[in-house]
Amino acid sequence: MKRKGHGFKQSMVKLLGSGKNQDLRIALFCILLSLFAGSLLLLSLGKNPLIAYKSILQGAGFWPKARYAGHKSMLTDFLSLLNYATPMVFASLSVAVALRCGLFNICVPGMMIFSGFLATVLVGYSGLPSFGARFLVIIVGIVGGSFIGSVIGYLKFKFNTNEVVVSIMFNYIISYVVSFFIQTKYIDPTTRQSLKIGDNARLTLVDKVIGNLKIEIPLVLPLAILVVVGLWFLFARSRLGFELKAVGMNRKASRYAGVDVGRTMVISMIISGALAGLAGVSYYLGCYASIQPKVLPSLGFDAIAVALLGNSSPVGCLFASLLVMTISNGTTYMSSTLNVLREIASLITGILLLFSACSAFFKVQANRWAQELEDEYIVNMREAPHE
Amino acid sequence: MNSIIIDGMAFSLPLFIIAIGGIYSEGSGITNLALEGLLGFGAFTGGLSVALLSPLFPSGSSTTMYIALVVAMLGGMVYSMLHALLCIKFKANQVISGVVLNVLSVALTAFLANQINASFFGKASNKFMLEVSPRIDIPLLSKIPLLGGFFTSVYPFEFIILIVALVMWYILNRTPTGMRIRACGDNPQAVDAAGGNVEGIRFGSVMVSGALAGLGGMCFAYSISTNFSPSIYAGFGYLSIAAMIFGNWRIGPTFFACLLFGFARSGGYFLVTKLGLPSSYSDLVLTLPYVLTLVLLISFSRTNKAPRALGEIYDKGKR
Repeated sequence: MKRKGHGFKQSMVKLLGSGKNQDLRIALFCILLSLFAGSLLLLSLGKNPLIAYKSILQGAGFWPKARYAGHKSMLTDFLSLLNYATPMVFASLSVAVALRCGLFNICVPGMMIFSGFLATVLVGYSGLPSFGARFLVIIVGIVGGSFIGSVIGYLKFKFNTNEVVVSIMFNYIISYVVSFFIQTKYIDPTTRQSLKIGDNARLTLVDKVIGNLKIEIPLVLPLAILVVVGLWFLFARSRLGFELKAVGMNRKASRYAGVDVGRTMVISMIISGALAGLAGVSYYLGCYASIQPKVLPSLGFDAIAVALLGNSSPVGCLFASLLVMTISNGTTYMSSTLNVLREIASLITGILLLFSACSAFFKVQANRWAQELEDEYIVNMREAPHE
Repeated sequence: MNSIIIDGMAFSLPLFIIAIGGIYSEGSGITNLALEGLLGFGAFTGGLSVALLSPLFPSGSSTTMYIALVVAMLGGMVYSMLHALLCIKFKANQVISGVVLNVLSVALTAFLANQINASFFGKASNKFMLEVSPRIDIPLLSKIPLLGGFFTSVYPFEFIILIVALVMWYILNRTPTGMRIRACGDNPQAVDAAGGNVEGIRFGSVMVSGALAGLGGMCFAYSISTNFSPSIYAGFGYLSIAAMIFGNWRIGPTFFACLLFGFARSGGYFLVTKLGLPSSYSDLVLTLPYVLTLVLLISFSRTNKAPRALGEIYDKGKR
């Protein structure tokens, strides 16, 4: 007996059911859903979604544009994408490491500002030789971020404070305090931002002339890749990574099994903080060379979406970062060619976030449908065994 | 001295009503970090209604303000249904859903405000201007020394908030409905066994929290900036969550927590102007409520009793 919706169920189970790469397929499904929702949005504005998505790809350097300005080409667009994606990779990994341990780190924006400001003040204005300066910037970033992370982790461990609220409080406190120092000491009166740092400390080579192109080279991108590999090793092969995951899955069970839960949580916040610090320096001393006071970088919040989309796995975060930055970078070009508002980029990212929040539901639903179909099949076989 | 009380109350009361929203939602067992997004979305719909309706009324009339407050409540309520849907129906992680709603709300309101301003009013702006709210001096009472500040240049919405807060307190603590809501947060299985509809009660509670957060957001829009702009997302929602936790998920103590935040803020501003410090010092003052929250959280978190089933997805089969 066939019930209504049987075919739909079957195809959904085939598409999303358990088996190889289920998480990956569900992530792709979420992306498709949000692209679809985005096209509805674009249609309602009277724009052709296909052209819109194509111009996003063009803007991000995946597809040749019709015309290029001087010293520009597809390569420059693509390198610019990589340049902006680098802090996103670090930031999303930072969220992912905490999430794996069952902690929700939304202090990434605050950690980014904190480490970015520290590095700017300590190294950015010094005239150190460029190799040493860049090395120091990275070290300061790691130390600054992990300091904040350790404080949050320690408070959670020692006083059982809600880490989400503490993180949010830290975000605002850091943002206001840094803004105070910038506005009293380091303000550039024309741009209303902090004074520009020297090129010697900058983590991105800007306007590097190669051939007839002026390109940007993100120097910390290899480090980001290295971190992805390192974290993969941590989670898949190391004892600490196993303990992190165990604490994230069930705190009580891991305590029973002899894991030092408090220590593990503090360590995961320290790693998370260090990564957020790297995101901060590669953002404020790489993509940009100054800090805008009183503004929490929205990249830090988007990183949560990226980590969810990447299913908190290091490699997943890498690709999710590229996807989200493609949308946000490419939208600049799209908004100028199609005459739509720039804000649509964050809207599409928001929708993507919404669907990836439901991914657990998709998974459960697909598995339940698979079970139902299987039951039905067995019942049918019993009823008509000789058919 | 009066200015500390006036500004403090104008800041505390919207915070308080948002926190009550949080108490309803979390009291029923649904973690609500989405308050920030809810208040912003409420303020957006309220601001939009003012922008659309203000040509119909003579300028200076406060009718639009009352309409805006109601529309903001409705807007917040509708938007909160998304949170309820994600948390209850789609069984998403409640913390994540809350953050998602906040991010989406910022993006959505910024986009819509720009788009609506561009296509209906033909201007490039992300703001909706509001009428300046009237301020009321209560005769006689405002003449009392020291305490007179509580009755001087009061926003009309402050009375509305107090009335709504009392009603909400009564419902939560003195009616069977309120008992069911609180029971859903502590032991949903028991509610189910007694014949209550856990998912329905939780859905309703989240909607109440959305409405109250929308009301609070609109009040902030009137008192702080007299317009709707994305600057409404300044962390007031998170602050009210902190007030709620500090108030141990009970309405009475939460009121005093909100007063503390409000007076810390207005007192700080007062000091900056009194001591003649440059305006950049106000940044440091703005951190006061947050620092206070942090200190209080650290000292009170051990003894706090959150609703026992808070953040758990309701599972009928679980005992």
